[in-house]
Amino acid sequence: MRLMRTYAAVAVFALGAAGALSACGDDEESTATTARTTDSTNTPSGAQSTTPEEPATPTIVVRGGKPVGGVTELDYEAGEQVRFTVRSNTADEVHIHGYDVSKEIPAGGSATISFPADIEGIFEGELHGSGEQIVELRVEP
Amino acid sequence: MTLLPYAHALLARQDLPIPEWLFAWGASIVLIVSFFALSVAWREPRFEEERWRPLGAGLSRALLGLPAQILCGAIGVFLLGVAVYAGLRGTEAPDRNFALTFVFVTVWLGFPVLSVLLGDVFRPFNPWRAIGRAVGGTFGALAGQRPAHLAYPEALGRWPAAIGLLAFVWLEVVYGPSGGVAVGLSPQTTAVAALAYSGYTLAMIALFGTEKWCERGEVFSVYFGMFAQLGAFGARDGRLGLRRPFSAATRWATVPGSAAVVIASIASTSFDGAQEGAFQGAIESVIDWFLDIGLGAVAAERVADTLFMLLCFGGVWLIYMLGVRGMASVGGAPSVQRLRSGFAHTLIPIALAYLVAHYFSLFVFQEQAQFTYLLSDPLGTASTDLFGTASGGIDFRILSANAIWYVQVGALVIGHVIALTLAHDRAVAYWGDYRQAARSQYWMLAVMVAFTCFGLYLLSVANG
Repeated sequence: MRLMRTYAAVAVFALGAAGALSACGDDEESTATTARTTDSTNTPSGAQSTTPEEPATPTIVVRGGKPVGGVTELDYEAGEQVRFTVRSNTADEVHIHGYDVSKEIPAGGSATISFPADIEGIFEGELHGSGEQIVELRVEP
Repeated sequence: MTLLPYAHALLARQDLPIPEWLFAWGASIVLIVSFFALSVAWREPRFEEERWRPLGAGLSRALLGLPAQILCGAIGVFLLGVAVYAGLRGTEAPDRNFALTFVFVTVWLGFPVLSVLLGDVFRPFNPWRAIGRAVGGTFGALAGQRPAHLAYPEALGRWPAAIGLLAFVWLEVVYGPSGGVAVGLSPQTTAVAALAYSGYTLAMIALFGTEKWCERGEVFSVYFGMFAQLGAFGARDGRLGLRRPFSAATRWATVPGSAAVVIASIASTSFDGAQEGAFQGAIESVIDWFLDIGLGAVAAERVADTLFMLLCFGGVWLIYMLGVRGMASVGGAPSVQRLRSGFAHTLIPIALAYLVAHYFSLFVFQEQAQFTYLLSDPLGTASTDLFGTASGGIDFRILSANAIWYVQVGALVIGHVIALTLAHDRAVAYWGDYRQAARSQYWMLAVMVAFTCFGLYLLSVANG
């Protein structure tokens, strides 16, 4: 009996700890998303059947080598097509790490980057000229 | 926070946080396993004796004989030289320079796992030990007597190694120009730090003797040696042998400062895992506070990161000491001091699990670079192609996100089970009375559950 009581006490403690931790996690997550400026584009989920609706291509505006409004976060599921446009007033080159995709942007012009999201993980996209990160790709399985 | 161009150093890819369902499953399995462990508790200690038995004499001679020692030592010194040379003369791009990947990934993350599997393999390759022995041996031959050393202050124990470990990780994850990345350091700084550490280590070896300093103060020997205690292979009096796995660990922590070494390991991995996830918001607000009081951007980030790293050390220490204090309250308990050193080894599996959980994918990806372009073109200047692999690269497709998640959660659960096992075994040895021993272990169980769930939590909010 006594042993059972102690077991129960340990269980309550452990569950309490786990609960506190996950509650903490929600907090942190919300502060993290407000701390960084994030434009998430919603990707159509469960769209592997038939032709998916073409989502509007997100555009990142770069002025003086810096992304206007901060780093854009783009979410994809593995197998989808990554597609976004970068418009810049100065000439630069966009580079996506991990995928090793690069594209030149002429001064005052724009470039559309498009490739299949076939590596899972989180990847930075940056401007080679200014060294600024402009986009974060998250490819979920 | 990007302060310098190309500041993201080694990693072109970061892990996705583990999904909520896996976090829930992982935590549930940990709890169920823990209660199961309580119900199957055994009454006689099983790991207090090593039951060491020698392997074949020929094998021992081949692997531990003088020719092998000289060869391994020379390889160690050569590789240290390559790393320093590449750091000083090679490219500034961290991911193209041999120095960073070799020191912080291949050696620092490779040897803990290698040591568990094969025994203390760093010892023969330790470049400073090799130099110390060569110089000591030459001196002995010329002077006709062994070099005289100061007596090592035994009260210091492994504290120099614990502090050195924190300093190494601080250099790796805090000092670099961009905090918040796996390695934010420049190759040049790495080389200078390696030279400075070599000078310090050789001076200490001259003062206290090669073997003494390697057992107590030399960071890499102590750190990798700690993980070697978990494994089945161990040498005794120049003979290679097999022992009961985990048994050698039960005597490891009797030296003062050992608890600090394992706690420093858990704390520094926690900090590195949390700075881009769990602690990100908090660290950023502390940075802002330091910016407000007039610190420069780099200084503010470093000071804030340093504070959080020390906070991690204090937090892990506190949780462990709560467990120790709790155990001390159970009837028939030994002194707090004896409990503190007597249970420190039970945290080694947790430290290893944290390492695997946080660095597994980095290691697998970065070793592809190590054995392709970094090996053939160590300077990263495209001037050499030593092994014809200079055009190789990292294939990020070899690990799916799911594979990484299962390894991460699996490592934490397995580390948890081994830690519980070692703690229960030690309790049975300390408390003659089996019921009291079991009662003392509710405390350690709570400690282990806290560490493992914290580890899972860090993974679930990683790179938020």
